[in-house]
Amino acid sequence: MKEVLEGSHAVSEAVKLARVQVIAAYPITPQTHISEALSEFCADGRMDARFICVESEHSAMAATIGASSAGVRTFTATSSHGLALMHELLHWASGARLPIVMAEVNRALGPGWNIWMDQSDSLSQRDTGWIQLYCEDGQEVLDTTLQAFRLAEMVNLPVMVVLDAFFLSHTYEPVDIPDQETVDRFLPRFSPRIQIDTKNPCAISQMAPPAYYMEMRHDIHKAMRQVESRFEVVEEEFEAIFGRKYGQMEAVQCDDAEIIMVIAGTAASTCRHVIQELRSQGEKVGLLRLKMFRPFPTKQIRQFLGETRKIAVIDRNFSFGLSGIFAHEIRAALCNHDKHPPVFGYITGLGGRDVTPEILKEIYQITKATPFPKEESVWVGLNKN
Amino acid sequence: MGEEKKMTAKQKFFEEIPLFISRSLVSTEVNKTGSWRFVCPEYDEKTAPCSAACPAGEDIPRIEMLVARGMFREAYETILNENPFPGVCGRVCFHPCEGSCNREGFDQSVGIHHLERFVGDMAIQEGYLVPRRSRPGMSSGGGRIAIAGAGPAGLAAAFFLTRLKYRCDVFEAETEPGGVLRWGIPSYRLPDDVLKKEIDRIVSLGVNIYCKKPVTQNFLEEIKGRYDAVFIGCGYGRSIQMNIPGEAMADDGLEFLCNIRKGKAVSACGVAAVIGGGNTAIDVARSLVRLGSKPVLAYRRRREDMPAFGHELEMALKEGVELKELIAPIRMKAERGNIALHLQKMKLAGSGKDGRARVVPDGKKTVTMKVQQVFTAIGAEPGENWYVPPKKQDNILSLSHCTLMDEEMPMVFGGDLTNPVKSVADAIASGKEAAMALDTLFRKGRDAVEERLASCRVGDSGSLSMEIYMEGDRKNRNPHIVSFDEINADYFQPAERKTPRSLSPDESSRSFSETEQTFTKESATEESERCFNCGICNDCDNCRLFCPELSVLIDNTRRINLDYCKGCGICVVECPRNAMSLEKEELR
Repeated sequence: MKEVLEGSHAVSEAVKLARVQVIAAYPITPQTHISEALSEFCADGRMDARFICVESEHSAMAATIGASSAGVRTFTATSSHGLALMHELLHWASGARLPIVMAEVNRALGPGWNIWMDQSDSLSQRDTGWIQLYCEDGQEVLDTTLQAFRLAEMVNLPVMVVLDAFFLSHTYEPVDIPDQETVDRFLPRFSPRIQIDTKNPCAISQMAPPAYYMEMRHDIHKAMRQVESRFEVVEEEFEAIFGRKYGQMEAVQCDDAEIIMVIAGTAASTCRHVIQELRSQGEKVGLLRLKMFRPFPTKQIRQFLGETRKIAVIDRNFSFGLSGIFAHEIRAALCNHDKHPPVFGYITGLGGRDVTPEILKEIYQITKATPFPKEESVWVGLNKN
Repeated sequence: MGEEKKMTAKQKFFEEIPLFISRSLVSTEVNKTGSWRFVCPEYDEKTAPCSAACPAGEDIPRIEMLVARGMFREAYETILNENPFPGVCGRVCFHPCEGSCNREGFDQSVGIHHLERFVGDMAIQEGYLVPRRSRPGMSSGGGRIAIAGAGPAGLAAAFFLTRLKYRCDVFEAETEPGGVLRWGIPSYRLPDDVLKKEIDRIVSLGVNIYCKKPVTQNFLEEIKGRYDAVFIGCGYGRSIQMNIPGEAMADDGLEFLCNIRKGKAVSACGVAAVIGGGNTAIDVARSLVRLGSKPVLAYRRRREDMPAFGHELEMALKEGVELKELIAPIRMKAERGNIALHLQKMKLAGSGKDGRARVVPDGKKTVTMKVQQVFTAIGAEPGENWYVPPKKQDNILSLSHCTLMDEEMPMVFGGDLTNPVKSVADAIASGKEAAMALDTLFRKGRDAVEERLASCRVGDSGSLSMEIYMEGDRKNRNPHIVSFDEINADYFQPAERKTPRSLSPDESSRSFSETEQTFTKESATEESERCFNCGICNDCDNCRLFCPELSVLIDNTRRINLDYCKGCGICVVECPRNAMSLEKEELR
């Protein structure tokens, strides 16, 4: 049934439909609406789940880890400083191989204090062993959250479903909410591969000396390597039931494109319009909308970007002293590939600043006019003095 | 490839997505984490400040816990262990318990006296009996005790001595038992039937009460040999005189109250001056309001110096009693059918030995009040001089609430005669102390009395617990008095104190019916839930829920599994009511 929903509530609805058993969350703008709705579902009996109120995000993740270790389906949500506070436990969750699903609303970090859209928070957690999936609209948020549980439980790794602050979390759109029976067909009860049991007490996640630790890390890597193919399976099953599919990334008019703009999140929707307009003017431009960031889908990146002449990567984040993070990852993916078009890096839309069609067109024009990319990223849309 | 084909789908899955994590193969129970401990938690129930403040030493946190659980009978039995008069005390006690309530530091004190009254009335309504109490090694067939005076002290002595297996005969000068409760306290504060039911309950234990039998010195001689001991609780029956000219025109306040209770015709008209600042003065004034006159309280000191209980004075003022401070009567004169009451104005002159303000005449300034009646209520003294124990004799043992004279037939003086604070609860306390003192005297001799009583103190206060004397569970309580700082207030929500319905001052000033009502079950339960239950375990389960080692076990009682308790102390910190302590571990 279609309903007009806030992006945040698309997450909440999916979590309800996923029959999550334990939720532990701490409020932070712009994530609060997600856990707020869930706490209401738990309170009024619409969800048969335990909502654990905690005093910080660190504890939210700790409680989620505890519950997940006990073999139940778990969820939490956070944003920005909240995610930063969880950092230690993000490593723990993946190291303990727990299939936790978290909604992460992309928000800037302070100071200066800023509650708006920015990708720095989730990208800073790049190396924690979490699968990261970036969404573009409310429907994708709902669908991806449902898929995330399947995927996480399949590979025993935690999944972060990422959505833009306000542009997505607080924007109302028509969203098709599937019925419970159909979701149950797609997402059966969680049957954990590992589970603590008070009747047979044992120690878990305890000391792993040099003789073992490396193998454990290698196993995480092996599981991560399976994610791309398993994601395909999950998507196929999902498509068979619900008729929707997103892919690890989405290529729009890339086949003959001489310049491909690469972007993640809601700004991709703006970019879709921009390339239409540019195409109508005879420009050979395409869009590659990134969804999966971890594991980094190198194979598909090479496939979609290898043949083009120039790549313009638009980052709403910045790794100080280097580059936009998406741009840098793409450079790395192409570097040992025989086809390696130049990668132009653009920084724009930080801290909630709009990424307007004009900005995107400007980026296209710069890319077109510049033969070789500068070493430095180009910051677009800075205030003029 | 050939090998791969042999694998089942499940094996293949496990091969592709391996799950090697650190996990012990054996039970973690082999790791006795208790060996890490250097401090050890223990269940250590402590003393609530209200209990220590209660002259009768009632186990208030436990009573409120039981009321909160709807266990009204058990609450009643818990009160009865320390006080046979919950219905009476819930009404007339000045409730020092509430003044020391830790909840005061949070929002407002718990309405302890309303709850006591509720439990008392519940017992009367449901006809709860007095349960049998026994203690280890208590034999039947104790001695016989004569008790002079059926006031709260004498009746309490009879009750506790009977529970200690003594046979008691109470001798009362008046026509009915009750003493000040029956004759002194007006019925709008204490209705007859409540008192009667609670006295009946004492009689039901086998106590004989002989009325119209004043105890004289001759009588004491006569009964020698028939009784093993005597308790003297004759109270303050004689009013103190003002010794001023024209005093004969004044009525005695105590007698006035007594006449009302006896149903005798009393006259009350116009303006009445009530001389005094104690509870009797207030009772006289409030009774006068009900009889249609306009009472004016004339007190020689200031309002804050009045010995009357604050809430009583407040009620009186609400009902229309007028208060004039710093005036002392000097002369009364008849004047055309009225009384001209001349009063000396007083002024402050430092403070006296007792800490109260001292007042002296303010020069020659006087005032004259034209009134129709004058009542005196400036204090009372023992009816007979020998009611008071002799001072400083070898065989005299002065205890906190009574005095023991060890003679051939030992005598204990109690009640108002020996109590530093003249209150009903203190009178009950003296009866209880007398029972413990006599029992110890008979069993262990005089030298053992003081030490034995000291071991029955509630906290560090003068109140004594019969439950501790009887070696009930309460004797294991730590005498440490829990302070507000020791309460983990995070576990409590602010909640407004509930008060039962009461008549408006306008309604109450027109009748002798009871001003205040009793709590309903619902309000009693709600109010009792406000109690912190300071120092006692109410099975909130926090210790068990928070223990990271699952070391809190519940079999019959709660205990700590020391094999695994690491001594982290979380249980002690999370106990909302300081019913646990952390002790340094003995070196092993």
